[in-house]
Amino acid sequence: MVTFTVFFVAPVLYAIYLSLFIPQQVNGNLTQVFGGLQNYEWALQDNQFLKSFIHIFFFGIIQIPIMLLLATILALILDQMVDGFLKRFFRTAFYLPYTIPSVISGLLWGYLYSLNLSPLNYIIQQNGGQPINFLASTPMTLFVIGNIVTWTWVGYNMVVLFASLQGVPRELYDAAKVDGATGWNVIRYIKLPLLRPALFLTLLFSIIGTSQIFAEPFALRSIGFVPNDITPNAYLYAVGAQNGNYSYAAALALVLAAVTFIFSSFFLRIIARNSNDQ
Amino acid sequence: MNRKFLKATMLGTTAILSASLAQDNFREPQYRDVQGNVTLEVWSWVPGLDKTAAEFTKQFPNIKINVVNLGGGAQTYNRLQTACRAGSGAPDVAQIEYGFLPTYIETNCLVDLRTLGASNLRSYFVPWTWRQVSPRNQEVYGIPQDTGPLAMIYRADIFKRYNIPVPRTWDEFARAGARLSELSKGQVKIGNFFSTYSPWFIALVWAQGGQMWRQNADGSWVQTLNNPTSKAVAKFWGDLIKAGYVSTFPAFTPDFWNPMAAGRIATSMEAAWGPGSFAGSLAQNPGQGAQYRVANLPQRTLGSFASGNWGGSSNVITRQSKNPQAAMLFINWLNTSRTGIVSDWNNGGLFPAAQAGLSLPELRNPDVNPSKFFGGQDVITVYQRASQAVNVDFTWAPWLPAADAVFADVMAQAIQGRITFEQAIDQWQERTLAEARRNGYKVTGGQ
Repeated sequence: MVTFTVFFVAPVLYAIYLSLFIPQQVNGNLTQVFGGLQNYEWALQDNQFLKSFIHIFFFGIIQIPIMLLLATILALILDQMVDGFLKRFFRTAFYLPYTIPSVISGLLWGYLYSLNLSPLNYIIQQNGGQPINFLASTPMTLFVIGNIVTWTWVGYNMVVLFASLQGVPRELYDAAKVDGATGWNVIRYIKLPLLRPALFLTLLFSIIGTSQIFAEPFALRSIGFVPNDITPNAYLYAVGAQNGNYSYAAALALVLAAVTFIFSSFFLRIIARNSNDQ
Repeated sequence: MNRKFLKATMLGTTAILSASLAQDNFREPQYRDVQGNVTLEVWSWVPGLDKTAAEFTKQFPNIKINVVNLGGGAQTYNRLQTACRAGSGAPDVAQIEYGFLPTYIETNCLVDLRTLGASNLRSYFVPWTWRQVSPRNQEVYGIPQDTGPLAMIYRADIFKRYNIPVPRTWDEFARAGARLSELSKGQVKIGNFFSTYSPWFIALVWAQGGQMWRQNADGSWVQTLNNPTSKAVAKFWGDLIKAGYVSTFPAFTPDFWNPMAAGRIATSMEAAWGPGSFAGSLAQNPGQGAQYRVANLPQRTLGSFASGNWGGSSNVITRQSKNPQAAMLFINWLNTSRTGIVSDWNNGGLFPAAQAGLSLPELRNPDVNPSKFFGGQDVITVYQRASQAVNVDFTWAPWLPAADAVFADVMAQAIQGRITFEQAIDQWQERTLAEARRNGYKVTGGQ
């Protein structure tokens, strides 16, 4: 309880306190003065902040389904495989990207997507095409980030889903076999329904994770221009570290937390309703 | 001892004496060592500063220097800003460009160097640099390190191959761009637009007399990012970009150095520290048959001559430093001593802010970088001319980091063709104004 207070409640309370102040020039010097809800009013009118939410929203509805679909397919294949070296190898290989810090993976992928160094562009140029500038526009940059995030997290989600499949009692398969169910039917009527709780869990984590994307766009800065409003957290960082406006950054952080909370509970509600229908 | 030998020795002594007399209009202040063993942490992105720092420790063995290179510009500033506000984690000494100094003055992060005897050093520096480190004309917040007057780095081999004269005016520059594009079938661009570095663009506007900010007597500000000169410069480059004559590779990335080495960019408008970074970054791969040279910045008309300043830095001491005396000794030595200035030039290509440094013969040695990389050209003299043509009365605002970020954003949109370059400048003004106000400044727009 003490740790909960110190590490969770206290920072949030401090952020709320901070967000009620605004900097102001008094006699030529910048001073923090009480501003009430001024920061929140600005936040809701801040085009860059709103844009960062739009970016992350479209990012999420495209990237999360692709990632979870891939993770599910891989988990099912892995579950089907006979125990042995190959199974262990693939399990580790797919999980490996998750163990690489996202800043490093951002740099690695950054070079693969660099205008002049990318092997992709090399192949295109060899065939007489014009090289692609992968960071030319925000949608393109989001695509690059989506690629990195998917690569990193597919393995992680696969392991969660795979563990849940391993937890299925083997008798269930035997019973299904006796009833004549094979291949696709086993997957469709036994495995997928049993995967539901694990899928919802990974979905929830993915929504929360998506709302917090920061390291990947940050690392991509070393190869080209990535706008501050690419994700909410990147924008928060700019407001805090670049402009030094911590009270406004605190207000933005609280708005971000609120939006993430609302979104996740919305999904939890849908999930709960669906489970009851079953 | 025979006579012949005596004569020879005497002759030798006279020669040495006269040689040293000739050079010794170089003036160094008295450096006073501090007591005890000290280690200073220094944040700087000057190439090879560790080598210069080693020279310092050779002279003052009780002071060790730990140089930390976090990367240029924003990468260092964001961390420094955070450390300043947090009240811990800041280094003893940091490198800050003149334009970004007001940001740190506002946050009360820097030591007033008058308390450490800086007032006596004023006469050692190029006069306008002192104004930059002492913007209120009272407190002194930094020791000038280098300046960045603009000139044009160009590939002499490319101009020779296509038989095009090196441009002296912006009109000639535009015409050379069209001709180069035609002859090379669009492969070779006349120049590159650094769309992610507003101080580069500001320097070009500065060279033509545009002003971006001024502060009123009551402390409030006026911002004029969209002044007519600013719009004209943006339109000029925008037209060349749209025509395909100018590229937009981001500065200081492999994506810029590669086409430079490959001969796909003919010129680059570079500050006085530019030749140093060319010599350093292109050392491994300068490009086949490449001849890098420096010429004056193109002018509005033949006969006129002006330049702007891009970057150039000062060394500051943070209030968190536990050894301000030792830190002062280091930044003083670094920027006024002959050893410091020569080492910074050879290792980092720093164009000294110290008045006497500019006429040092060591900086004209054609066999040492950066001059060596430029075919032995006397690079310093070109930039010295530019330095004298810089309008010295230029004011920076403390929200330059915000202006810088907005600039990169609106320029990206202009390059994608979603808005015109003139609209981009108007948005730059409006959005920066909104951010400055949100960050607490009393500021109005103006012309």
